[in-house]
Amino acid sequence: MVATVKEVKIPKKPIPVIGSLQTMYNIGRFMFKKPVTVQYPEDKGEIPERFRFRIFLSPEACIGCTLCEQVCPNHSIKMEVWKIDEEAKPKGDVVIETARGARENLQNKRHIYPDVNFGTCTVCRNCEEICPTDAIYLTHQFEDARTRNSFTYSPKELTMQEDEVIK
Amino acid sequence: MSRYTVLNLGPVHPSIHGILRFRVKLNEEIIEDVDITIGFLHRNAEKICELNIYANNIIYFDRMDYLDAMNMELGYVTAVEKLTGIEAPERAQWIRMIMAELNRLAARLVGLGAFGLDMGMLTPFFHCFAEREKIQKIFVEASGGRQEVNYISIGGVYQDFNEKIINDIREFSKNFKKRLEDIYNMFIHSEIFWQRNDGIGILEPDVALDYGVTGPLLRGSGIAYDVRKDAPYLFYDKVNFDVPISHRKDNIGRFVLKIEEMRQSIRIIDQCLDKIPDGPYFNNKAKKSLMLRVKGDGEVFSRVESDNGEFGVYVRGDNTVKPYRVHVRSPAFKNISVVPVMARGLMIADLIVIIGSIDTVIGEIDR
Amino acid sequence: MNLLIRIHDWFSFLGPGVSYGIAYLLETIFILIFVGISFMALIYVFRKYMARIQLRIGPNRVGKYGLLQVVADAFKLIGKESILPANRDDLAYRLAPLIIMMTTMVSFVIIPYGSLAYFGSLTITHSDVTLVLLFGVLSLLPIGEILAGISTKSNYALLGALRGVAKDVSFEVPMLISALAIIMISSRSFITGAQTYNSLSLAGIVENQVIPYGIIDPLGLLIFYISMVARASFTPFDLAESDSELITGYTTEYSGMRFGLFYIGLFGMVYLGSFFVSILYLGAYNGPASSDLGFIYLFIKTIILVLIAFLAWVSLPRIRVDKFVNLGWKYLLPISIINLVYAGLFVLYIR
Repeated sequence: MVATVKEVKIPKKPIPVIGSLQTMYNIGRFMFKKPVTVQYPEDKGEIPERFRFRIFLSPEACIGCTLCEQVCPNHSIKMEVWKIDEEAKPKGDVVIETARGARENLQNKRHIYPDVNFGTCTVCRNCEEICPTDAIYLTHQFEDARTRNSFTYSPKELTMQEDEVIK
Repeated sequence: MSRYTVLNLGPVHPSIHGILRFRVKLNEEIIEDVDITIGFLHRNAEKICELNIYANNIIYFDRMDYLDAMNMELGYVTAVEKLTGIEAPERAQWIRMIMAELNRLAARLVGLGAFGLDMGMLTPFFHCFAEREKIQKIFVEASGGRQEVNYISIGGVYQDFNEKIINDIREFSKNFKKRLEDIYNMFIHSEIFWQRNDGIGILEPDVALDYGVTGPLLRGSGIAYDVRKDAPYLFYDKVNFDVPISHRKDNIGRFVLKIEEMRQSIRIIDQCLDKIPDGPYFNNKAKKSLMLRVKGDGEVFSRVESDNGEFGVYVRGDNTVKPYRVHVRSPAFKNISVVPVMARGLMIADLIVIIGSIDTVIGEIDR
Repeated sequence: MNLLIRIHDWFSFLGPGVSYGIAYLLETIFILIFVGISFMALIYVFRKYMARIQLRIGPNRVGKYGLLQVVADAFKLIGKESILPANRDDLAYRLAPLIIMMTTMVSFVIIPYGSLAYFGSLTITHSDVTLVLLFGVLSLLPIGEILAGISTKSNYALLGALRGVAKDVSFEVPMLISALAIIMISSRSFITGAQTYNSLSLAGIVENQVIPYGIIDPLGLLIFYISMVARASFTPFDLAESDSELITGYTTEYSGMRFGLFYIGLFGMVYLGSFFVSILYLGAYNGPASSDLGFIYLFIKTIILVLIAFLAWVSLPRIRVDKFVNLGWKYLLPISIINLVYAGLFVLYIR
């Protein structure tokens, strides 16, 4: 079970013109093979189960432990204060709706939630792996083109679907 | 003085692999001298690694040789495992071996395609990328990332192999043997290909040793040095494979040698799939939440055989959660520095072919 | 019935001078439009063909099956800003793409296209020496290349222009000598062995070509075809704009529609050259069935030749410049001289 050293066998030098014709045949015969490319917007292909991209946050589970902030390799995650319950209260006649009727986790006493800058996020999944309550999680959603100044997602936007976030 | 033309290839040029600058002193079309400037892709990765905890540096190693991310991760992770004393379970090590060989294939395919493009062959590039796409699908299936995988983690791997992944790899390895011969035949039968490569880019073995060249470039000069053979890591001592060498010392020898190494990689993958045991894929001592507190002390140097050659990682810990110093021995840097020796006296078109045959990745040179 | 005569008849009330003038003008415009459309179809075919060999789909977004892609590209190129380099030689810089494009365009007028069912004969230039005329027009190409190369003071463009001129000069000679062999073969009637007096005109060569000269003179066909592909700078020989070392050679500093004109020149040249080869060696508009469809025969032969050149483009690597010039002077030239001797012996033999 040891690697053996072997001299490679170099093929013979091809004959001029005939060699070229042979190459042309070797390449030209692929003309009737099926294309391998995928027409993207119509055919997205199947996304594997472990594929990860867009980060979501479920505020009901987040306890504000800041582990995700500590473990983020390039400091894309910052903790931010977000008082859900106050926001949900009616102000005058208008009721401000929170995203998906989110409720605050009572254990999150400091009201701090992660705020993700997707401009620097490398989708390393560390935050998802370390989260003790599975509050922050990555999804299959990957179509989130943004302009340069709007890469940062506030905690509220992290709970919303992509089309709900108005930037 | 006015006899010479100074031609500037790069930093942005269609056929320099990445952003690298060559100032070529030309006498008509004959190269008198080549001056290489690096540093256009410098991202300060080694310094950043000193500011992060051990587990977080893996993504910076992904981005060194971005085409061969698994082997880069493997180099760092084996170093940190030696330093911190966290052992990976047996199954994880076999998984790492399969992934490293798959990624070596993927990186080689890109190199082959680009080598063809450098000579003006347009078609092999697309066929190589079609095959590489299959490897990347396996990577997505296993790790969730296509190129920058972040799969190998300290004390194991990110997630276990399931039946589907193993079946995918088996199927890939079955089809790939035929496709590799197809790609090989696209190149080797053309006499123009021989004309461009036969006797071009001669690298004498003693020059190669002086410059610290490793990988296919060294083996193409007839010196059988492969880290997988000479200092086996993982379970490379438990599988059968050949280390091909060539005494031709030129581009043709290196090309055939690279193809032969790809065949050997497939052979290793087949053996690994048969030998992979059941068991845990992750050492519980190395959970991410514990990684915040893992401390390393002392200094280690670990080396792996990456696509370009011997990739070494030096890590020094000072008993804190962050490494004191991380240093990388980059094979591509040594390989690219031998270009002026190989190119002197040849023509400008040969320089491009030589760069294509060395197949450097600038991310690794500049870090 | 000649197309020229037909148009002349329509305008005959204007008097013979004016009506012939109008007839020639309209016929030229008609041919150029026809060539232009078939040329665009050719680029589309090239892109699809290349894509299929490379396991891709090719253009399929603009129009049905991407048929309008070439039109869209042309509009894109016209709409683009033409960036003028600062220290250019202005006149030469602007003149170069026009020379390349006009040379190709004018050459298409000289080709005898044969006859088409309703339109009649599609031959515009009724000169006795069209072969010489065509070579004369094609010899203008190096001027465009050298002007493009030296006018921008870029090293890439300069090296590209030097290579381009080396290419044109070293492959024109074997091309001419092979054509000379054809003139010799054509100077005697194949059946009667009598002297013919129209072997310098392309139409005359086709007329004399009872069996394709490619069968009589296969060596000449090979030399002429290789030289033609080389002069069109298709991939095994595209050193002048070799994108791996010289960005795009002498067209490096051009952008927008000026670059588009070079592109037209490149593709037009291989199209024209294929017409040329099929006229000299493959019997052009002669075919098995009635001669009303002569144009179709010419077209099919040309397309097959172009597709072979395209296949070489996508599959072969580029020759290095010294080997390339060697190929012209050291291999093709001696072989073409041998071929000339062979042609002479052949003419003596059939006499």
